[in-house]
Amino acid sequence: MSDLDRAIAQLRSCRPIPEAQVRELCHKARELLIEEGNVVTVTAPVTICGDIHGQFHDLMELFRVGGDVPDTNYLFMGDFVDRGFYSLESFLLLLCLKVRYPDRMTLIRGNHESRQITTVYGFYDECLRKYGSANVWRYCCEVFDYLALGAIVLGASNTLEPSPEALAHSQSLGPTQGLTESDIEIEVLNADGVYINSFARKTQPSSAESSPAQSRTGAPGSGASGWSTGTPGNTSGAVLCVHGGLSPLIDTVDKIRILDRKQEVPHEGAMCDLLWSDPDEIDGWGLSPRGAGFLFGADIVRVFNHANDLSLIARAHQLVMEGFKEMFDSTIVTVWSAPNYCYRCGNVAAILELGEDGSGDGVIARSNGDVTRSDGGVMREKERLLLPGPARRYRVFQAAPQDSRGMPAKKPVIEYFL
Amino acid sequence: MSSSHIPNLLTSRRGPRLRGRGGGRGQGRGHDHVGASASSRRDQTIQATDTDAAVSRLSAVALGYLDDPYAQYFVHGAGTRRLPIINRGTYARTTAIDALVEAFLSLPESSSRKKQIISLGAGTDTRYFRLRAQNRHHNLIYHEFDYPSVCAAKYRIVEADIPALDGESLVLESGEAVLGNGEPQWSLLSSVNVEPDLRYICHPLDLRRLPSLESTTSIRGLQTDIPTLIISECCLCYLDVTDATAVIKWFVEKIAEVGIVLYEPVGPDDAFGQMMTDNLAARGITMPTVQRYKSITLQKERLAELGFREEEGGGGNDAVSVEHIWQTWVTDEERARVDSLEGLDEIEEWQMLARHYAVSWGWTGRWDDWMKPLVRIK
Ligand SMILES: C[S@@+](CC[C@H](N)C(=O)[O-])C[C@H]1O[C@@H](n2cnc3c(N)ncnc32)[C@H](O)[C@@H]1O
Repeated sequence: MSDLDRAIAQLRSCRPIPEAQVRELCHKARELLIEEGNVVTVTAPVTICGDIHGQFHDLMELFRVGGDVPDTNYLFMGDFVDRGFYSLESFLLLLCLKVRYPDRMTLIRGNHESRQITTVYGFYDECLRKYGSANVWRYCCEVFDYLALGAIVLGASNTLEPSPEALAHSQSLGPTQGLTESDIEIEVLNADGVYINSFARKTQPSSAESSPAQSRTGAPGSGASGWSTGTPGNTSGAVLCVHGGLSPLIDTVDKIRILDRKQEVPHEGAMCDLLWSDPDEIDGWGLSPRGAGFLFGADIVRVFNHANDLSLIARAHQLVMEGFKEMFDSTIVTVWSAPNYCYRCGNVAAILELGEDGSGDGVIARSNGDVTRSDGGVMREKERLLLPGPARRYRVFQAAPQDSRGMPAKKPVIEYFL
Repeated sequence: MSSSHIPNLLTSRRGPRLRGRGGGRGQGRGHDHVGASASSRRDQTIQATDTDAAVSRLSAVALGYLDDPYAQYFVHGAGTRRLPIINRGTYARTTAIDALVEAFLSLPESSSRKKQIISLGAGTDTRYFRLRAQNRHHNLIYHEFDYPSVCAAKYRIVEADIPALDGESLVLESGEAVLGNGEPQWSLLSSVNVEPDLRYICHPLDLRRLPSLESTTSIRGLQTDIPTLIISECCLCYLDVTDATAVIKWFVEKIAEVGIVLYEPVGPDDAFGQMMTDNLAARGITMPTVQRYKSITLQKERLAELGFREEEGGGGNDAVSVEHIWQTWVTDEERARVDSLEGLDEIEEWQMLARHYAVSWGWTGRWDDWMKPLVRIK
């Protein structure tokens, strides 16, 4: 067993690793991350996760629900640390897994991966408490500076093999409304993989292109696994993953690529916005109540997605009680992966699975935003409607049961106003 | 993160034991109290909630949210830095109650009649000392009630750390006569005039005993014929509904012209509220009134039923959430100032938390002017 595997085993049991080992790990991680661009390209299948915030036992629950590494590819959209009681163990475990399985783990930066924020929200104090010095905090912050700012997921299928329950459910709706697997755009499962809900893809009336594109796939239930590998599914537009959202200074993904990211998160500017902004029911841009980043409306998302051949933006950053929330006609989704956030909020968490496009040409077929578009003509306008979103499977889960949490003997006190 | 290991002076500074008949209810504290019954253990837990409030107050003061030179005396050591959402909530709650108190003190009075404030479960609240520092303590008699052990500890802190004003004396009285429970009560008297003038008095009393007191004369200095404001800042929520009702009734029935301000949680039934109930229960804290007056509307109905409603002679009630207070009672400039102190990332959590606390107020007399200073910002 390598040192790294030993460290993983130790961290999995929620025990911190020695300072010297953290130092070495962070060094290796930096060497790896420095090679990554500001926007990492990831190929489906991948499971996209939102904020973790040091809720180690819930992270273990996430792996139970979503599948273990390296069997499942993961993309974590930042905010690994702060607020929870095990930021250190959570972040170091994710970092170990990144170093051990670099191609199967993608970590991007959240607004809490910052020196300033971690001194206010707990990670700094936790490091001091657990090591007696700020060294480990410092090593981790150096890694934060190298984390990518975003990721582009390519090759995600726009069809989804429904679970048997989903099919049964759709059949009960009668022949006219009945679903075939290719019609299912969204499926929601609980922590044990049991069907909760599904949504059919809205058919677009004038879609000359989408009819053949959404034609039949293999017989339902023929695949043993959840994903219909081998069926002639189709590739959807690319998915941009970023912690917060968009920036008025960024109109193409390429502009993200040319930022100088290796620094503390600035108080303003494009890099700050990507990590701090939120979608909101407004037109255009608005001031953020967070005091950093901006609010942006549906029009902003539509224009950005179109300009960059994106069908969806996946982001985290905002607590949503249901674990995930699609907005603006499913052009953007918030994924939140910290159940019962801060051991206080009573919310469920979710992860988003994007399946692999079975046709095998997905990656080539889709530009990832590198291509500069020059026309804005009629054809474009039409196509704007046509970019199909990927099929999305959400797994919704709750906080790890109390007994498995191994809470410290002295129960943590959750703050209220008394 | 946790304040439980930060003792405040009420629990850590023992000092010489005050003399009294002993055996008073709710006196025992600490786990060394052999044979402490479940109910007295519960009382101790409730008394300890004051530590929480004191630590939160000091955190908000230390970071510049609130200006309160007295907060430091009631926390042992340097205190703990609270999360920004907690600091903001402490700020909003204190500011709201300060505003209601200030409006009460500004109520026009034809004569030079006094006014009276009664703070229930005052704990280490510093409001009286802050009023005194602003010279707002004239023509005012200020009562505080809390468990005897809490009152005794507060006395020791005030005696040691808070200088008396010129011509003011701190008096500790022990005796059978007082409250009939032998617990020493203490007061601040002004002896500038020939007749010593009672300004502040701290009553060591388990409030649940109050309704059994026949006459107001057992509560020293209590006047029934002057405008009176009752404050329960997260106190009556710890009592059973019937006890809480009886306490308020006791005052309302005896005092002619009375107003009340309640600050307590609401919304126990949604996911956040259920978790709040569970988390507090894990600390041994239950808030029975929250299960009964679950919403802002029900808080208003509660006040109306107690007599705080519009009638011939005046009266009324209202209630708002802490979120509303933050959004509308606090001016834009002040909000910008407070926002700039720490920055607050946890917007959704703040909104959720702040929607689960409410300030409710009601009045029986012709106090229509009471709300006037607030209408502007409401
Ligand atoms: C959360 S603290 C609030 C203290 C203070 N009002 C403030 O807001 O800072 C609650 C206080 O109510 C007091 N209290 C609770 N139940 C009481 C009772 N039955 N009799 C007297 N005091 C009580 C506790 O001892 C404690 O000091």
